[in-house]
Amino acid sequence: MTTAVAPPYHLPAQKEQSLERARRIAWISIFAILTIMTAIGLTMGTSAAMKAMWIEDSLSLVPNAAFLVGVHFRNKSPDEKFPYGYRRAVLIAFLAGAVTLFGFGVYLLGDSVAKFLASERPSIPSGAIFGHRVWMGWVMLAAVVYGVIPPVILGKMKQPLARELYDKALETSATLDKGDWLSGVAGIAGILGIAYGLWWADSAAAALISIEIIRDGWEDLRNSIAQLMNKRPTDIEGKEPDPTSDELQHALADLDWVADARVRLREDGDVLTGEAFVVPRDERDLLGHLEEAKRVADTFEWRLHDINIVPVRRL
Amino acid sequence: MRPLIVSILAVATACSSLPRDPEATLERVRRGSLRVGLIENPPWVVRAGSEPQGAEPELVRRLAASLGARPQWFWGGEEQHMQALEHFELDLVIGGLDDRDPWKKKAGFTRPYFEERVLVGVRQAAPFPASLNGLTVAVKAGGEVAGLLRKKDANPDPVQHLDSAANAVAAPEWQIEHLGFVPTRFELLKRNHVMVTPPGENAWLRTLGDFLYEQRGEIRGLLEREAR
Repeated sequence: MTTAVAPPYHLPAQKEQSLERARRIAWISIFAILTIMTAIGLTMGTSAAMKAMWIEDSLSLVPNAAFLVGVHFRNKSPDEKFPYGYRRAVLIAFLAGAVTLFGFGVYLLGDSVAKFLASERPSIPSGAIFGHRVWMGWVMLAAVVYGVIPPVILGKMKQPLARELYDKALETSATLDKGDWLSGVAGIAGILGIAYGLWWADSAAAALISIEIIRDGWEDLRNSIAQLMNKRPTDIEGKEPDPTSDELQHALADLDWVADARVRLREDGDVLTGEAFVVPRDERDLLGHLEEAKRVADTFEWRLHDINIVPVRRL
Repeated sequence: MRPLIVSILAVATACSSLPRDPEATLERVRRGSLRVGLIENPPWVVRAGSEPQGAEPELVRRLAASLGARPQWFWGGEEQHMQALEHFELDLVIGGLDDRDPWKKKAGFTRPYFEERVLVGVRQAAPFPASLNGLTVAVKAGGEVAGLLRKKDANPDPVQHLDSAANAVAAPEWQIEHLGFVPTRFELLKRNHVMVTPPGENAWLRTLGDFLYEQRGEIRGLLEREAR
């Protein structure tokens, strides 16, 4: 027995270039995040805000990794074992990432509130750097400032690519990166607060950062569950319904042999797939007509792939 | 350009007066009172006579002099002193403490100001051992080092005074040389010595840390003087 294996999907050549560029930026992001995590990890000491930033940074690896996993599986053709292909693998990575993000956010919020209530005060000693005595708070400040700059730049570079490629993992990554400056500012305020003798500034900053993490995590959780449940396609931010369903429906209904048409689509990563039900006016050359409809569906938009045309008597 | 220079100057002057203490410990010390918790731990803190002896009380006396303060000494145990620090009833705790201390999150620890490597030492004339396996090593009784020796398959010989050691001895590097032994490459433990302040008193912690850094060349001499 053999299965009806879905046809492989190929991106348009120009999109392929953007994908390659996005892939490079994702790798650069991972490298940049690792250097930031090293800088913050080495300097954080007992600061709660720095700990929160470190965890936020480690979590911002997730959408980058999910995107790269997606790119890898995108090129893998459907086979006997997985006749619908491997695209949905990235959704699992994404859900796992969202759960982690959300969970850590809740943990961090609890941790910083507990620290605040226990009035735990961050003690930051001075150390020697190249023979100069420095209060380590200033070194922490430098690490935080360093941690803010690359994500903001990379996020700005990712966003247009995410929109062009309709890649939600990349879009999430861009949003996270752009949101990073907020927690950076909170972290800077926390450390300056410590310097000015306001011990609570640190746990307050940590709480703020964890609320930011919880918000991101919640947003991602909702999006990935919606995709796993085959929600109707939306725009890249998951807000407005994607117009493609309606447009395809109109295009099919406009064929002169079609009396009426209804389209049902779902997102498979960046690709849109699903069924189109058509009511033919008569049954003359039905197979030829269906092939025409298939051609229309597959060329109508670059994201449409493997649309099933189903002839029905009535809708 | 002018505003830029002004703001850089402003930041630079702000930096020298920062960090500040939430409980103003440094200011209080400068006004004359320095409350020091002592934990007996020779040769770091030695209980003898009315004034405490040892390397760390000597360092504290120097620091107090430089700040125009007079130390008040309080003998006690670690638990009790750390709890007093948490409530800002002491300004400093000393007692040969190292950075493995479980109170690390509840109090202010300086960066390690002295690295003490505990090694195995042998007699000058004796051949260097190839391994610790089965080697009989004199070690101060009742300390963790005996256990570390046993873990490395050496044969610890717990003694009251290391002066009586015959062939091999396990002790801090400075003491091995002081006892007339030669240190080997066998390291059993590294103690990174610190002093402890109340939590979050960062100006005071910084002043203390900077002072200990200045004194880093003196520590070994103080320890050897104490051992004599």
